[in-house]
Parts: sequence; structure tokens; C-alpha cells
Amino acid sequence: MKGYYDIIGDGGSQILDQVAEQRARITDGLAGVRHLVAIGSGKGGVGKSTLTLQLAGALRARGLRVGVLDADFNGPSLARMAGVQQATFVPGSDKVSLPRTASGIGVFSMGSLIPESEALDFESAARGESHTWRATREFALLGEILGSFDWGALDLLMFDLPPGAERTVQYADFLGSFDRAQDSPRTSFVLVTIPSQVARGVVARSVAALAKGPHRLLGYVENMSGYYCRDCDALKPLFISSEASDLGIPCLGTVPFDPELARQCDMGIPFDGLQESFVGRAISRVAQRLLEDLDKPASADATRESRAGKEPRR
Amino acid sequence: MKFLCVPCDSPMTLQSVGPPDRGSLSVVYSCPECGYEMAMLTNAYETQVVQSLGVRIGPATGDRTETSSTSKCPFSAMIPPGAPKPLGEGVTSERSSDGARQAASTEAMPVRWTAAAEARLANIPEFVRPMARTGIERFAREQGVLEVDEKMLDEARDFFGM
Repeated sequence: MKGYYDIIGDGGSQILDQVAEQRARITDGLAGVRHLVAIGSGKGGVGKSTLTLQLAGALRARGLRVGVLDADFNGPSLARMAGVQQATFVPGSDKVSLPRTASGIGVFSMGSLIPESEALDFESAARGESHTWRATREFALLGEILGSFDWGALDLLMFDLPPGAERTVQYADFLGSFDRAQDSPRTSFVLVTIPSQVARGVVARSVAALAKGPHRLLGYVENMSGYYCRDCDALKPLFISSEASDLGIPCLGTVPFDPELARQCDMGIPFDGLQESFVGRAISRVAQRLLEDLDKPASADATRESRAGKEPRR
Repeated sequence: MKFLCVPCDSPMTLQSVGPPDRGSLSVVYSCPECGYEMAMLTNAYETQVVQSLGVRIGPATGDRTETSSTSKCPFSAMIPPGAPKPLGEGVTSERSSDGARQAASTEAMPVRWTAAAEARLANIPEFVRPMARTGIERFAREQGVLEVDEKMLDEARDFFGM
């Protein structure tokens, strides 16, 4: 009797063909993107979205072509921060034109499609059992977005990842599969933490999880690294922390908490006005370090340490 | 998933996919050798697995707005009830007062779409389509135009997009 692999084709369901077609559309859509940079953490509330957008702003200010995809479909915040909550989506000849900020950063966020008063929902034949299928569907949505929007020629496409160490790894697996070649990965990861042992502990789990695969982990950014007081023009401690644990990956920089930055994010005001501020300069330094590390061969960065299966030092 | 007619040792081929019934699909296969037919009846979980991949079972029917791989979006109902929400108040940048006056004067009038413009709209994911239509029609009204054609879409792309 014939086995599965003895039969050519799939009997007419055409599911495999459609999956291959989806992947081809994504590959085609990302063909002009030089670097895919995923900003994750594992921990929620550490400022991933803020840093993603502000780094994009700093890179854009250097003349780079930058796009941002808000991959936190269930808690999208970049539409508000980037000022594209009221974006108009324009159908092109084959793909949808990517909405842009005033400074020219392309932004896709579900927050442009769904009002903040409503939650993302999917039609389902198995309603009430979403734990069995929801993640699969969200990744299908990610594929649909990547394959349907016109990303064009970008120096960087940055992904603002949702919280959760396991989600970080799922995105790593998904995005990594579109790397052109295993020897020169296009996808890189940056993790965000804050100076608390709780946050660093969660981020350490993400480091360990990413280390299990062939993922390029550039390092981490310590956000909320002190409180910048504009009145005193001084940096003050925000977290009273004992000796910091070593995450085992390079620190790409530290960014203080600045209430003005938070206000601008709430208002959807872009990076431009903060460039010369204390926090703006800190973000620019991280952006510079990011660019330098992206252009290094993968074998020279933290990936090597991760591939060796090194556990983060505590 | 493949089906094999054991007596003939021949792969069966898909004949038809019945419409969903309470989350169940009826997929009929037949043996090209002996003509024997069987139906695969999925439960809601199995149907959902396929839906979650963003694919359909069986060939497209040719109606692009409903069944093409890019348009038969499994997320068609993901936008909450009541969508699309109107877009556009203060979209991205300056709007001239002339534009605002023109928009007001054409607000109640329907905007026509040429066949080519409709085809472009049908080519984008269903979950974006209502918002795209609303935004483009607002843009057209602001230009004092009541017909959306490909030229208008190109202008909108230059104005709003990357």
C-alpha cells in the first residue's frame, strides 16, 4: 500500500501550494529589506514599543530608510506613538502602501485599524477554545501583513514584539525562516530590560530561549536606566537595585526615563524634537551601536556566544 | 492530508467542499480508479486549524474578491462589529481650507470607483479593505472628485504612503 510520500500532490486540497504561495509573497515583499531587527524582551512594560519607535526615529534622522511593524497585535501601541492612528491605507497595483510618519518612517500597526476601545478578534469555528489556535492565527496574520504591504527598499524593518519569552522565540523562528542564507542572517534580535532584577530575570529567560536556536542576538538595551530630571538637568536613580545580574550578552546602551519622552509618545510626536535632549542623545548612541553591530559579520557578535549554548550569568 | 483508496492503492482526489455547518466542513473525495466516494467531515477544531493557517481547502473559484489567496482572508471577521470605523480626521498633514470646503460640499454624494480601482482594492487583504475604501473616498472628496480611478489611487499613495 502506498504511503504519504509515495503520492504526488495533496489530493486537491491545495493547502501546501497555498502555504508555499504565502511564503513566496513574504519573501518577495521583504526582498528589498536589508535588515530585519526584532525588538523583544519577554517582559512587558519595559518600553519595547517606545524604544523601537525612538530608535527608528534616530535611524531615520541619519537618513536611513526605516519601517516598523507593530507585531503586538493584541496590544498595539505604535499607531498612537507614531501618530498614524488615522492612517489611510492605499491599495497599489499589487500591495498596500505602507502608512508613514511625518518624518518618513513606514509604520504598520493594528492600532490604525482597530480603535483602542476594541480588542482584536478573529472569526472562529472553535470559539471559546482560542488557546488551541490563536497563536497560529496570529502568525498567519503576520504573514498576511508581510506579504500584502509594500515594504519597498528599506535599510531596516524593525519589529516591535509582544511580551513573552516563548513569543520572542516564535517570532525568531518565523522571521529566521525568511533569512536568505543561514550563514548571513538578516534577522537580528535586541532585547529590552529595565534595571530591576525581576525584569532582568525574565529577559534572561528570553536570552536562554533564543540561545537554543540559530538566532542572531545583538544584545540588550537597559531602558529606564535612571530618571532624567529636566529641572536639575541630572540623572537620578529610578530603581534601587542590588548588584545587577549579567545577561551574558552585550549591553548596547542605556536610556533614561524622561517624562517628556513619555508625553511625546502619548501625543504621537516623533523623535525629531528630542534629538538634542539627554534622552535623545542616549537613544542616538544606541542607534549608532546597533548600526555598527548589524554591519559586523554574524560570527563576531553575541550569536556566537548564544550558539555555544552559554547560559546567562546570574 | 491525503486519502488513499486501499483496494485500488490509488490516491483519491478532492471533488467538492461543502459549505461550513456549525464549524464543520464536508470534503468529498473520490477514487479515480473505482469511483468510490468518501467524505471527510471535520469538527470545529479541525476546521479551525486550517483556517488559522490562512488557507482554504480546494481550488479557488475565480471570484477574486471572495476567494483568491490574497483576498479570501481568514481574518475577514476579525475587525470588531461596527467596523469600518471612519478614518481620516487630521490624517497626516495639512489640509487646505479649500479642500475642507470641497469635502463638505461633496460629503453626502457617493463616490464611484472605476473597475480598475475596484480591482486594486480587491487585491488587498480583506481586513484592510474597508478602511482603505473609507480613507480613499475621503481623500477624493477633499480633492473635489467623486470618482476614484487608478490615478487617484497613485496620488493618494504619494500623499499618504511610503
